Amino acid sequence: MHSTGFLGLNGPRAPDPMTFAAAVLAWIADPAHWVGFDGIPTRVGEHLTMSVTALALSLAIALPVGLALGHTGKGGAVAINIANVGRALPSLALIALALPVAFGLGLGLGFWPTMFALVPLGLPPIITNTYVALRSIDPDLIEAARGMGMREWDLLRRVEIPVAAPVIIAGVRNAAVAIVATATLGAIVASGGLGRYIVDGLARQDQARLFVGAVLVALLAIGAELALALFERLVVPVGIRHAARAPDTWSAPR
Amino acid sequence: MTPGEPLVRWDWIFSHLGDVGQRLGEHLLLTGIAIGIGFVLSLCLAQLVRSWSWLYGPITWITGVLYTIPSLALFAFLIPITGLSRLTAEIGLVSYTLLIMTRNIVAGLQAVPADVRESAIGMGYTDRQLLWRIEMPLALPVILAGVRVATTTTIGLTTVTALIGQGGLGYFILEGILRFFSTPLLVGAFLSIALAVAVDSALVLYQRLVTPWAR
Amino acid sequence: MHQERYRAPVTRSAAQTPGGVSVELRGVSKRYGGGATAFIGVDNISLAIAPGDFCVLVGPSGCGKTTTLKMVNRLIEPTSGQIFIDGQDISTLDAVELRRRIGYVIQQVGLFPHQTIAENVATVPRLLGWDSERIRRRVEELLSLVGLDPGVVRRRYPTQLSGGERQRVGVARALAAEPPLMLMDEPFGAVDPIVRGRLQDEFLRLHAQLGMTVMFVTHDIDEAIKLGTTVAVFSEGGCLAQHAPPSRLLASPASDYVARFVGSDRVIKRLALISLADVALELGAGPQGAPTLARTSNLRDALSTLLSTRADAVTVVGEDGVAIGAISMERIRMALDDVARSWPENEASSEGPAGRTH
Repeated sequence: MHSTGFLGLNGPRAPDPMTFAAAVLAWIADPAHWVGFDGIPTRVGEHLTMSVTALALSLAIALPVGLALGHTGKGGAVAINIANVGRALPSLALIALALPVAFGLGLGLGFWPTMFALVPLGLPPIITNTYVALRSIDPDLIEAARGMGMREWDLLRRVEIPVAAPVIIAGVRNAAVAIVATATLGAIVASGGLGRYIVDGLARQDQARLFVGAVLVALLAIGAELALALFERLVVPVGIRHAARAPDTWSAPR
Repeated sequence: MTPGEPLVRWDWIFSHLGDVGQRLGEHLLLTGIAIGIGFVLSLCLAQLVRSWSWLYGPITWITGVLYTIPSLALFAFLIPITGLSRLTAEIGLVSYTLLIMTRNIVAGLQAVPADVRESAIGMGYTDRQLLWRIEMPLALPVILAGVRVATTTTIGLTTVTALIGQGGLGYFILEGILRFFSTPLLVGAFLSIALAVAVDSALVLYQRLVTPWAR
Repeated sequence: MHQERYRAPVTRSAAQTPGGVSVELRGVSKRYGGGATAFIGVDNISLAIAPGDFCVLVGPSGCGKTTTLKMVNRLIEPTSGQIFIDGQDISTLDAVELRRRIGYVIQQVGLFPHQTIAENVATVPRLLGWDSERIRRRVEELLSLVGLDPGVVRRRYPTQLSGGERQRVGVARALAAEPPLMLMDEPFGAVDPIVRGRLQDEFLRLHAQLGMTVMFVTHDIDEAIKLGTTVAVFSEGGCLAQHAPPSRLLASPASDYVARFVGSDRVIKRLALISLADVALELGAGPQGAPTLARTSNLRDALSTLLSTRADAVTVVGEDGVAIGAISMERIRMALDDVARSWPENEASSEGPAGRTH
């Protein structure tokens, strides 16, 4: 197809490993890469800020919706279809589609278009997992709770949410990893974050920058996954820990 | 995006129909190769797990890490080695399918009821006959569910490979972003989603056809 | 001399059925793990089953009866000892070939959910490479044999049948290649009592008709006594406590364990096994107005009638309705004593082949 990259980069021959390693180390060691707006701490900070904001907004929208659907048992088809449609949404397209929206609202490039892409990306796994988690609770348990005189709110708070927690958190975990990964793509629409190193590295044919950016993004994504796994262990009651992970019906394109 | 410019310029679309068709085919090819290779590899991994069950942990751990690494980062890792090539794109795309498909194949095989397996062995099925005549057909719905998830995910991910000079429909999305031109952007996004929905529906239909007992 | 009978004794007699093979277990043990933590599944069992016999392995759960059964088709390999089928040591045979010659039915049936009923029944013939016309005819024949309408069920899937129908298909599938030996692991355990009774009756009929050897596992002593020509009672720890025909098992249990296992009502169970036709009756009809019973009834029916009508004796009538004698409480007691006396203590042991007749 194309021997040249879309960004005008020629397909490079594999560099000598030693030279390449030296270049990467030199790039990391360069103090200029640790300060200022394009420094590693700033880029990590931007990436985390975007990801955490997007995840918080996603949770604020998706959790009430998922809980309402799951508790009442209504809208099951909706909840499941959200997952299917969500999975089909390409993240690059989401970013791209967010661009005209942000422009239309006069919010410009960078942060907001990225946010418009990341928040919708986080919704489906949380809504679907919350719905499925609540619906798959043993009906006997619900009946017993009602039989003891729990009101709907008590039932949700004391029984349904704790029992469904592992599956809900698994959904949040999926959302978080998808958001962290896609925040990288935000660099294409001029947002900050670690994606900058990759996109700029590609554009400038700077393979050391490209490589360091890739390592940092990979570490951040794996770190997010592990941190949420740890969180899951901390908040899930011992008695239902064996209930394990959600059946992974959801996965986001990144 | 440019003020005064309509969101969709139909004349652009009509004048680029050939281009659209070519990119669509490219997209299908990239996805098809990734799913095909990914499926065969996943089958092999599932076979390893079937023979040595302790391998399940390490295999899901490794494929899980591959799955967690953002696509752009994975491509960036590969560029110094395999360049801006289709090979780079395929290695990335294949590595994302492994976790889902391996896990579903293993889960599908394990979900075969013990009594069915026992009576098959008791009636004299060889190990290979048991796998291909009993276990695989019964695991088919779960396996196909994995293939569906992997396929829709891969169709979305393929757009990202536009950044390394591949990309199929992603080409239009990137072109739209870089030229501030909403028409190709929307064409790329819409066709990518439509393709995912169409392929997913086709797989559902296929599953209904090949699992008449589940109806 | 009394001849013990159960149901249709002539067709069920071992000697007249060429359709079965002998099975012999010689000092068979199965241990799991080693050293001090070893768990004994089956402990040094010796058991001989004559061709055409219906041997029921019965015992509490975890007593090794299922393990014993699975060693016969080599789903489990014994730790020590030998198993012979038709005189051949099965450890010298190919396990897959062996299994194709043995019918196997389990409680959960294990029908293949992705295959139609016809395909399920055709499993072993297809493995054996029969031609399709022969398979088709055999499937029709088998489905009719187990009381299903081939035209109706052939193209259905297992989920579209009731539990009892599925179990019939399971039996048909096991019978497909005319196996001289059937292994059945609690095959009727998962259906309701009424269906179970019907399936038992039908399977007894099949056994009488086809004459194969059957090894049948159950935990239900009543099922064991109803079905078996011989019953092997297992005790915990995988030991064989006694192997004998049902009547002898009830009349002279080899140990307290067996006596407890067959139940405190074993006398009543024994009565059900003795036909009025085999009992020395009082001559002449009973007293005026006494209740009557056909000679095909058993002693349990007689006792029940005596107790419920408060009569002193029951008149026994032949097929033509003519009185051929009478039976009283005293006679029932005598009949039981006679049967018990006909086996010396030492003969009622668990060792050695236990034929149906004595």
